[in-house]
Amino acid sequence: MKRYDLIVVGAGPSGLSAAIEAARCGLTVAVFDENAKPGGQLFKQIHKFFGSKEHQAKIRGYKIGETLLSEADAVGVKVFLNATVSGMYMDKEILVRRGDAMEHCKADAIIIATGASENMVTFDGWTLPGVIGAGAAQTMMNLYSIQPGQRVLMLGSGNVGLVVSFQLMQAGCEVIALVDASPRIGGYGVHASKIARCGVPFYLSHTITKAEGPDCITGVEISQVDDHFTPIPGTQKHFDVDTICMAVGLSPMSQLLKMAGCSMIDDPRRGGQVPLVDENGETSIPGIFAAGDVSGIEEASSAMIEGRMSGLSAAAYLGFLSEKDKDSSLNELEVALNSLHQGMFAPGSKGKAFTKTDEGIAVSQSLLKKGYLDEADIARFNHFDKKSGVHPVIECTQNIPCNPCQDACPKDCIKIGKTITALPRIDADSTCTGCGMCVASCSGQAIFLVDEDYEPGYASITLPYEFLPRPQKGDLGTALSRSGQPLGVAEIIDVRSAKAFDHTTLVTMKVPVAQAMTARFYKREAQRAEL
Amino acid sequence: MKSINDRSQDIGPFVSQTDDGVIICRCEEITKGEIRQAIHDGMFTVNEIRRYLRSGMGLCQGQTCGRLVKNIVVQELDVIPAQLDPATSRSPMRPVEMKVLGNEEVTHV
Ligand SMILES: Cc1cc2nc3c(=O)[nH]c(=O)nc-3n(C[C@H](O)[C@H](O)[C@H](O)COP(=O)(O)OP(=O)(O)OC[C@H]3O[C@@H](n4cnc5c(N)ncnc54)[C@H](O)[C@@H]3O)c2cc1C
Ligand code: SF4
Ligand code: SF4
Repeated sequence: MKRYDLIVVGAGPSGLSAAIEAARCGLTVAVFDENAKPGGQLFKQIHKFFGSKEHQAKIRGYKIGETLLSEADAVGVKVFLNATVSGMYMDKEILVRRGDAMEHCKADAIIIATGASENMVTFDGWTLPGVIGAGAAQTMMNLYSIQPGQRVLMLGSGNVGLVVSFQLMQAGCEVIALVDASPRIGGYGVHASKIARCGVPFYLSHTITKAEGPDCITGVEISQVDDHFTPIPGTQKHFDVDTICMAVGLSPMSQLLKMAGCSMIDDPRRGGQVPLVDENGETSIPGIFAAGDVSGIEEASSAMIEGRMSGLSAAAYLGFLSEKDKDSSLNELEVALNSLHQGMFAPGSKGKAFTKTDEGIAVSQSLLKKGYLDEADIARFNHFDKKSGVHPVIECTQNIPCNPCQDACPKDCIKIGKTITALPRIDADSTCTGCGMCVASCSGQAIFLVDEDYEPGYASITLPYEFLPRPQKGDLGTALSRSGQPLGVAEIIDVRSAKAFDHTTLVTMKVPVAQAMTARFYKREAQRAEL
Repeated sequence: MKSINDRSQDIGPFVSQTDDGVIICRCEEITKGEIRQAIHDGMFTVNEIRRYLRSGMGLCQGQTCGRLVKNIVVQELDVIPAQLDPATSRSPMRPVEMKVLGNEEVTHV
């Protein structure tokens, strides 16, 4: 039987981070993952992450995965792929399937970082081909370049539903509608706005009542729900779709911990059955740790921090790290983790309806109900100071843990301050050069450059564009409003892409000056013809 | 609040519901109606239902239906979810062919 100092199960962000920290302290570390590719969820995530620089914000998920992997490699972590851990026993022994054989391995400490699996909801026809999980859709598109369908309805308006809807559109699918039983959009407003401005409608307080089709999906019926989430008869709506995507939450895959005898609890706020852990992720069995989504559904940014904490704790448990060094490193990580646990979407705020931001500004109800800011909201968030010449307009109105815009601006035009969840403000004393770094680095695609004085009667608007094919200078298309309504003809006057923009193209369009504060997206002429 | 261990309690007669035909455990093709009937037959825990109907014993090992079955029990018995244990976890947690399970390798590459 092979022995290691530390075995990590799962090569996602938390598992890899744990392995790296432990190996740096001198432990021999083996990581097992059942997938053919390491990185867990990260390798499907082509969008730019939230957080701050320390949390790898504005870096795309798959890039973070690649970095973790090469770091793990450099410090001598052994990563075994196609290696399914099928069992774990009390004396820190695991059973691994590799190929057509079973192997037993033992370690002095084990970290379980197996992540989570997707939840499903049931309705008439939910087992028909064409009903898939959002994670599955993401895997098909981003790992295997397969379009999940042509016309998709998304159930679930949390960040996963919002992010995957946008990615479906990037992959060329049409997203017909976003449906959620809750009366409010669950994910970040900035993510919702990206979809709303493409014209996708949100149906809140609605659920799917029927998937239609003889042997695969040809349509879907949704109905409004009452306060008890019961469908109201007579409110049915029908859409022609070939795919139904479900993004209705994740459940921790905690079976290994349970079978090893760790104390478990049922915690709906953490996603289901989770191990009882201390602040460093140690379970009720000394030397067995849990990190990442398996100990409570959160984000990759927190999964990485939790992973590092458990890696350091495992090193200290085995005597590779003095208690003093452990404590000082852990303190730092705890501060970082706490900074992520602030704001309107903090784990403790789940389900809470905020009426005001931390700054005391009334939140946008339109953003929560329809996915976009209405004009009254724009006026209320006073960082839309009108200045002459090109200037940024920041449409980021919720307290989310994110600040890359602050670091991006070489002229210090954008200020968030120390509290990462504070709203970005524009510094009236700094002068914007129109370089576009803020637009490209905003993970929420919520920053626009506006110049009301571009030409007499015309304004220019620079927006982030992540669709292919890219518009060309001179193209004529349609300017769309925040809700995706056509406003009129827009002319492309500049298209910029740079390495520093990381695949985000900055498109500048010319619109009548009256649309300077309403036009927020561009639809290509070809798309107009296709309609 | 009722105790799920009190098997003598009267949970009322089985009344059919319009969505009883919906499949809950897709691996073993077990419907909501079958699960509700099992509860009325006296199967009050996810483990008992599992042994009685084979729900959660198929390819995905209850990864999809575990939560759904639990919710049905919660509703039928009118208890809170925390009172119910999910099914026992045991090795192998992923389905594995017998010939592989029996092929224990001693050396490690
Ligand atoms: C669509 C989507 C968008 C997201 N966007 C963001 C974002 O913008 N920012 C952010 O911070 N977070 C985001 N997240 C969340 C983030 O991806 C997860 O929180 C994070 O990946 C959790 O990391 P983890 O290491 O705990 O688990 P995972 O990444 O799920 O990794 C677990 C690994 O364990 C392996 N495994 C499981 N069981 C076994 C077993 N028995 N044997 C061997 N291997 C096993 C799996 O194959 C997997 O590789 C997003 C998630 C989704 C689905
Ligand atoms: S365009 Fe450049 S200078 Fe202007 S606010 Fe954005 S980053 Fe700063
Ligand atoms: S404006 Fe700043 S804080 Fe808001 S989403 Fe964009 S980068 Fe993040």
